[in-house]
Amino acid sequence: MTDLPRASARVGHVWPRRVVAGARAAIERGWQSMKIFRRYPSALAGLVLVAIIVVAACLAPLIAPYGPFEVVRGASGGVVRLSPPAAMNWMGTTNQGMDVFSQLIWGSRIALMVGLLSALGSVLLGTIVGLVAGYFGGWTDEVLMRATDVAFGIPFLPFAMVVISIASPSLTLVIALVIFFLWRTTARVIRAQVLSLKTRPFIWAAKAAGAGNFSILFRHIAPNVLPLSFLYIAIGVQAGVMLEAALSFLGFGDVHALSWGRMLNDAFRAGAMRTAWWWVLPPGLALSIFVMSIFVISRAYEEILNPRLRSM
Amino acid sequence: MGGFRDYFVRRLLLLAFVIWCILTIMFALFQLLPGDPTMLFIDSNFSQDMIDRQKALWGLSDPLWLRYVRYLWNMVTFDFGRSFFQSEPVSDIIGDKIENTCLMIVPALFISVVIGTLIGAVAGWRRGSTFEHATVGVSLILHSVPSFFVGILALMIFSYQLRWLPPGGMVSLGGVEGFWPIVTSRDYWMHLLLPGLVLVSREITGPILLLRSSMLDVKGSDFLDILRAKGLPERDIIAHATRNALLPLVTYIAVMTGLLFQGQVLLETIFAWPGVGRELVQSLSDLDYPVAQAALYVMALAALACNFIADLLYGLIDPRVTYA
Repeated sequence: MTDLPRASARVGHVWPRRVVAGARAAIERGWQSMKIFRRYPSALAGLVLVAIIVVAACLAPLIAPYGPFEVVRGASGGVVRLSPPAAMNWMGTTNQGMDVFSQLIWGSRIALMVGLLSALGSVLLGTIVGLVAGYFGGWTDEVLMRATDVAFGIPFLPFAMVVISIASPSLTLVIALVIFFLWRTTARVIRAQVLSLKTRPFIWAAKAAGAGNFSILFRHIAPNVLPLSFLYIAIGVQAGVMLEAALSFLGFGDVHALSWGRMLNDAFRAGAMRTAWWWVLPPGLALSIFVMSIFVISRAYEEILNPRLRSM
Repeated sequence: MGGFRDYFVRRLLLLAFVIWCILTIMFALFQLLPGDPTMLFIDSNFSQDMIDRQKALWGLSDPLWLRYVRYLWNMVTFDFGRSFFQSEPVSDIIGDKIENTCLMIVPALFISVVIGTLIGAVAGWRRGSTFEHATVGVSLILHSVPSFFVGILALMIFSYQLRWLPPGGMVSLGGVEGFWPIVTSRDYWMHLLLPGLVLVSREITGPILLLRSSMLDVKGSDFLDILRAKGLPERDIIAHATRNALLPLVTYIAVMTGLLFQGQVLLETIFAWPGVGRELVQSLSDLDYPVAQAALYVMALAALACNFIADLLYGLIDPRVTYA
């Protein structure tokens, strides 16, 4: 009982100092990352652009004046087809009288969803495969690595097109296919990393302390490969968005999902390249900007992870 | 050399294994198709007896394992059966399409490698110059921008707006036929110009970036100092450095060629180029599965073969590589 006040006094004494130190560390870290951005101005620009797209996707119902497939009607009640950019539809309309700007905004949702889900899925799968293959070695490694060899041998776009035409096109299937295509790279990179980590003294120490395989793998090794996994998430978002756009552009996308690739497909089929530039440019530019933004961000992150790249 | 033979055999076995796996996956996929090919042809007037006879004729009533073995054999011997709709053996159709695809890929690849190597080497040599910064910047942009949008843009500007170039196809309708007449015709080159340049704009970034970075590696080597001490002019030293920096490029080209076949799907669709990629899109929308299957198989084979060659070449040209 007599100890209690003293203890609380000590806590009271220590707490603010910790808070101050923590805050200082946070500020320091923030400052460091600002410095990093000064070194990579393109990555900062990329982040800003991605942030804009994320905001557009989140607030789509508020920003987009029309629904993704809503037909615009003029004052007289007629459908406004292929209107060039005007005050009412400031990116013009499609041949079916849909608002290009609204479609663009709604499309960002599909892009983000496909990108994030396929990147997370593939990196999760790839990381687990890489960890297990690298750590256990032997037959496990052999089987898993031959599986990545097979995955590397399958040409993605043609394969995905065949699968989609045999099954039926849906967003879930597209995401599943992208995951199937992307996990292999992550798996190989993570495995190589695990092979080198496995022989480090801290793993021996953990083993000597009696840690089981599972705990060594997920407590001691996994945290050390996570930065690399994050890099592959960024790369995966980029690849996922590109692949979905390519599939949709070729007409193998989900019929109910309005993505940028789908917009390009509609425009391409309707011959808008000849007649309606305002229909072709927005989805193409949005796609390019998004993909390039993620690319510069992942490049900067890669250089931060591996400073040797910086000189190159 | 014994090490190389072991390595060769191991790679070959792996190649065979991967091809077998892919064939098996494809077999399983096409088994999933609802119904069977007879449904496309059989009239409602056919009696069950006639249907059964037709199925037996096509081997569709055989047990699964027999069909699987026959399928493997047919694929390995490039016997893809007949197209459902074009009255030609699939292997003939695909053969023509591959030739057309190569008519786009080969010139584009050649230009990308030659010019890309030169630009990359110079950029690497003049490290820190404006030229280097500009090259890297432009290459990274071209590398990351979706090339099918570049293709669409090029088509919009040069074919539809300016009307300088034909808007797609490989030769004009009613034009020449046969390999040499096509290759030597002005018509073909005019049609090739736009898709070819779009392809170059993407593919050239690889050799540029690769040669630049391997030039940076080579640049610090001691042997260059020795050459300098011998009093060789700077131009000769660049030539020596480039020759050494070229090593990684050889494997890169092989891998790039294999991947190109798959990338052709988009480009050929946009430019209506009658190649194997466009054939795949067409056959899938026509439900002409024998053709689709063969196209997919050929694209996979191209990539695998090129990868295999890349692995072997690397060991042959670089004496430092050992086969552990």
